[in-house]
Amino acid sequence: MRKQAWLRAAAGLTAAALVLTACSQKSNEGSGDSDGGDSAPSAGWPETPDVEIKDGKPGGTFRFGITEPTAIDPYNGQESEGLLVTKQLFTGLVQADPDGNIEPGVADKWEANDDCSQWTFDLKTGTKFHNGEEVNSESFKRGWERVSAKASASEVAYHLTGIEGFDEMQAGTANALSGVDASDPAKLVVKLTDPNCEWYVRTVHPVFSPVPSTAGAPATNTAYVEAPIGNGPFMMDGPWQHDVGIKLKRFEDYSIGHKAYLDSVEITITANGSQDEYAGYQNGTFDWARMPTPVLEQARATYEPQNQWITRNTNGMNYLLVMGTQKPLDDVKARKALSMAIDRDAIINGVFKGSMTPATAFVPPVFPDAFQEGLCEACTFNLDEAKKLAKEAGLAEGTELNFQFNVDAGHEEWTAAIKDQLETNLGLKVNLSGVQFPDLLNNEQQPGASGIYRAAWGADYPTPSNFLQPLLSTEAIGAGPSEPTTGDNRGRYSNEKFDQLLKDGFATKDEAERIKKFQEAEKIAIGDDQALIPLWYRTQHRLANTEKFINLRMDFSENPDLYEISIK
Amino acid sequence: MGKFVIRRLAQAVMVVIAATILLFIGLFVLGDPFASSGDKVVPPETQAILREKFGMDQSLPMQYLTYLGNLVTGDLGIDLNQRRPVADMIGAALPNTARLALIAIIIDVIIGVVAGIIAAVWRYSFWDVLVTIITTLAIGVPTFVIGVWLRQTVSGVWIFPQVPRSFTELAPWYTEVLLPAVTLAIVDAAFIARLMRGSMLEVLRMDYIRTARAKGLGERTVIMKHAFRNSIIPVVTYVGISIGILLGGAIITETLFQYNGVGYLLYRSILQNNNPVIMAIVTFAVLIYVLLSMIVDILYAYLDPRIRLS
Amino acid sequence: MTTTPDPATAAQAVFVESAEHAGPGEAPEPQQQGKQKSHGQFADMWRRFRRNRLAMAGLVVVVILIVLALLQPVISPYDPYDQNLLNTLASPGGDHLMGTDALGRDLFSGLLYGLRLALLVGLLTMLGSMTLGVTLGALAGYRGKIADGLVMRTTDIFLAFPFLIGAILVVRTFGTGVFQVIIALVILGWPTAARLMRGQILALRESEYVEAARSIGASDWRIVTRHILPNAIQPVFIYSFTSIGVAVVAMASLAYLGVGVPPDTPEWGRMINMGIEQVQVAGKDFLWMFPSAAICLTTLVFAFVADGLRDSLDPKLR
Repeated sequence: MRKQAWLRAAAGLTAAALVLTACSQKSNEGSGDSDGGDSAPSAGWPETPDVEIKDGKPGGTFRFGITEPTAIDPYNGQESEGLLVTKQLFTGLVQADPDGNIEPGVADKWEANDDCSQWTFDLKTGTKFHNGEEVNSESFKRGWERVSAKASASEVAYHLTGIEGFDEMQAGTANALSGVDASDPAKLVVKLTDPNCEWYVRTVHPVFSPVPSTAGAPATNTAYVEAPIGNGPFMMDGPWQHDVGIKLKRFEDYSIGHKAYLDSVEITITANGSQDEYAGYQNGTFDWARMPTPVLEQARATYEPQNQWITRNTNGMNYLLVMGTQKPLDDVKARKALSMAIDRDAIINGVFKGSMTPATAFVPPVFPDAFQEGLCEACTFNLDEAKKLAKEAGLAEGTELNFQFNVDAGHEEWTAAIKDQLETNLGLKVNLSGVQFPDLLNNEQQPGASGIYRAAWGADYPTPSNFLQPLLSTEAIGAGPSEPTTGDNRGRYSNEKFDQLLKDGFATKDEAERIKKFQEAEKIAIGDDQALIPLWYRTQHRLANTEKFINLRMDFSENPDLYEISIK
Repeated sequence: MGKFVIRRLAQAVMVVIAATILLFIGLFVLGDPFASSGDKVVPPETQAILREKFGMDQSLPMQYLTYLGNLVTGDLGIDLNQRRPVADMIGAALPNTARLALIAIIIDVIIGVVAGIIAAVWRYSFWDVLVTIITTLAIGVPTFVIGVWLRQTVSGVWIFPQVPRSFTELAPWYTEVLLPAVTLAIVDAAFIARLMRGSMLEVLRMDYIRTARAKGLGERTVIMKHAFRNSIIPVVTYVGISIGILLGGAIITETLFQYNGVGYLLYRSILQNNNPVIMAIVTFAVLIYVLLSMIVDILYAYLDPRIRLS
Repeated sequence: MTTTPDPATAAQAVFVESAEHAGPGEAPEPQQQGKQKSHGQFADMWRRFRRNRLAMAGLVVVVILIVLALLQPVISPYDPYDQNLLNTLASPGGDHLMGTDALGRDLFSGLLYGLRLALLVGLLTMLGSMTLGVTLGALAGYRGKIADGLVMRTTDIFLAFPFLIGAILVVRTFGTGVFQVIIALVILGWPTAARLMRGQILALRESEYVEAARSIGASDWRIVTRHILPNAIQPVFIYSFTSIGVAVVAMASLAYLGVGVPPDTPEWGRMINMGIEQVQVAGKDFLWMFPSAAICLTTLVFAFVADGLRDSLDPKLR
């Protein structure tokens, strides 16, 4: 009995790593939750300067670790690890640079019609798949249909929602996307059921990749799923060795930009994620590594002077999900009191050793045009005001507050600190409980759910609206008041003005005007209504072997930008 | 005898069926594997498609019958996460775990038996107390603590390969398997040492040992020839049955040492609610246990007529 | 027959094995004439036990641990839940005997609290699985036939399960909390006790003195409670000491995995878990080493006492 109990114990070591990586792009775990930035001076480490990208020379093998992904085929690639590989194998219509700016990919040019219900992409001609097949508009249509087909049962197909004909594909009543026109090989025309003036940004997601005619259906052509043939700067060098590793080599006929410099990339699949990666970096196995939170301070002291340290604000936010339609937080004053009673600086310095930056807005500073510093006034620790608001809201001493988080993902400590602060500062009785992630989600979805829940968000597409629409719009509740929520707005926040501003934003062609609308919307939901309680921004830290390589930087998905990396 | 075997066989089948039903219900209680992907909710439409694809839109009893039917034909299903045939996944991991378990058994039997004999023969001596303390400690220290410590101090040194290392740097299998095997073996070696000590003491009190000594045989001959042979039997029984434990014990060590086996696969599957894989591995473990204990019982019955008649 | 050690419970298996060697198959001259004698029997045991220095040392430490656990609210230098974010990960020494954890909580106070928790869970789990196991085991052993088949097949099913999955499923079904952990451990622990008990009863049932009692027309109830149980219970009683240690480690392991006790509870397994996170940081190994040592010490002394008891039960083993 004892022995097997220990099994569980040791297995727990990896739990963190596994959960971490399973959602590292979508949540905030990748390298141990390090969030911070350069905007607030109170805590947090500054971003390291951008590297200047120089011309490289061919050669070299770049090595690093990931955990076992779900899929590397674009039809079902979902977590950061899988998408990392998919992005090397495939180049989509457009691409995001490390700052999230949209750059051409296979498409040279893109434009929408007047009401943004139809998008036209002009494609480069003569670009090739790894097997020599030419990439044209049909390749994209084929790829998108492969994703949306019911038989593929893709878990990421929802990114294609809004394309005409998608619903029929999902229902299994059609076998072609009626809204995608590929009659001209050099032109891809997409009709949307939901007009959206920033829709093109979505296509940076690898789920929109083109596939060659040999790809077939995922269920039958498993050889393709294990070793996808794409059109990206790198190609598979042998199939994916499950739980062991993935080897990539340079695609010599890449013509969308310059060819990749590296001869090959060796991606080792580790069991313990960032812990193994850090150890591997120390023993010379890896050229790039994420780190678990506890070692950050020590690693920074060692590697920053050697110029092997990267810190970047990335596309994500850590916050508390607030059940604002249920007692005791159905009063905005109660929500603000809670937010003001949290001393973010103390937690960041105490638990995170200063490696994060307290949040004062919800859309993070990684979107400089949309970022509104100080928007969340209640995000500043203010004990007197917190007590006053709590009193006004009837948040009396001894009030019970439910607080849940998911275990084994590195949240045990800071959640305990928040519980302690809320109990000490407001006299609440906080019932903190750690549950498995699926249970957390299920609990949040229930109609009677109350209190606060640990949450994090990373945008799927580099646009500020992706922080607002899915989390706070009425539409994203997806259920009536007595049903479990089905969307990501599990706090059931609903404000007509907010919804309207978002809608107006999506219908505005001018980017600056559009962002203004989104900013106004954020002001209402976070500044006025405190629908969620922002905690700290997402900041990521990496080790990078600058002794052997140049052009080492983090891409928008927090992965090494393999395309530019070159030996010295 | 035939009757006894048939009865025992029927019992075994019953136990397997009951255990799989319990497991099935348990996994159902564990929750919905399709509710989320990362931190994001999977839209209800997609969830419905997934449930249909994996046959989870059926009623629970129906799902169970389907599972049993497939099991009989050797079809273990498709895993929910990567959608690979479960048989392939286990097939890739099993040889590694089997190798690990085998080496661990060799290590723990050698250490355990020798320590047990020493402790029994020189009862209450310094060595006996030492063995008692060490075995108790070994049983008391959680395996992951031993593993972490070994990994921190020994890996990368001498013949032990670095952990982690790039997957392209192939290490000879015996160097790779050594550290996890030692970690895995420590606790079992302690159990075996205690078992051996107890059983040896028991045998040493027997009349025939007294006879052997009275005959004037050397102490060495008495211990090695007479006592050893008889006292090793419980150890052999234990080792046979501990194979199942070793398979499970591999979870910690395989994960710690980046070793690709069934234990690691099972652990990951539990985290992901990957039910078909959990079902397959646990059913396998249950089968091993039931088979081995049946064989032991039949053997005992064969040797001792009182059992099969009772 | 329980000649088969249970693979699901290795620690117990070994014990069952050795207990059977010491068991009533060669039971200490069946003493059935009443209280006086059985009193003498325990006095004998105690006399033999006292001569075993390791066991005595173990017993002394067990007593000390129990006293510490009882006095925990008084002697704890700090509230084990009290955080101090300005003094996290302090090294041992100074104001904090064993340093502070990642939340600035005093490690020594946490260990004391953990001790209280461990002993509580160990004891209650032992009592629970013994009660259930002894009752069902006795029923199976004495009644035989259908009762025996039913109980034995049920134990088969529970033992066939890898403990790992079994415990996680049970705890997750019942939810978070100390009480829930105890329930899970009892559910998984009773089959071993039941099998042990049944084995004892089977052997005693056929013994001459029970035959004698039966022949003079004693009722089943009387035979079981007066003649069989007092003799059969001894190995089970000894086993119960081992099972306390088993429960302590089991709870720690559950907690280590984030299953069982609430996450901020100062519990040894959780403390190790949080300490292991710091394993790559130089000089912070004390965070997992202290709680690991606490678990080792506790299981060690209980095992010593159990060993001593076993030896003293069977004088022939001396």
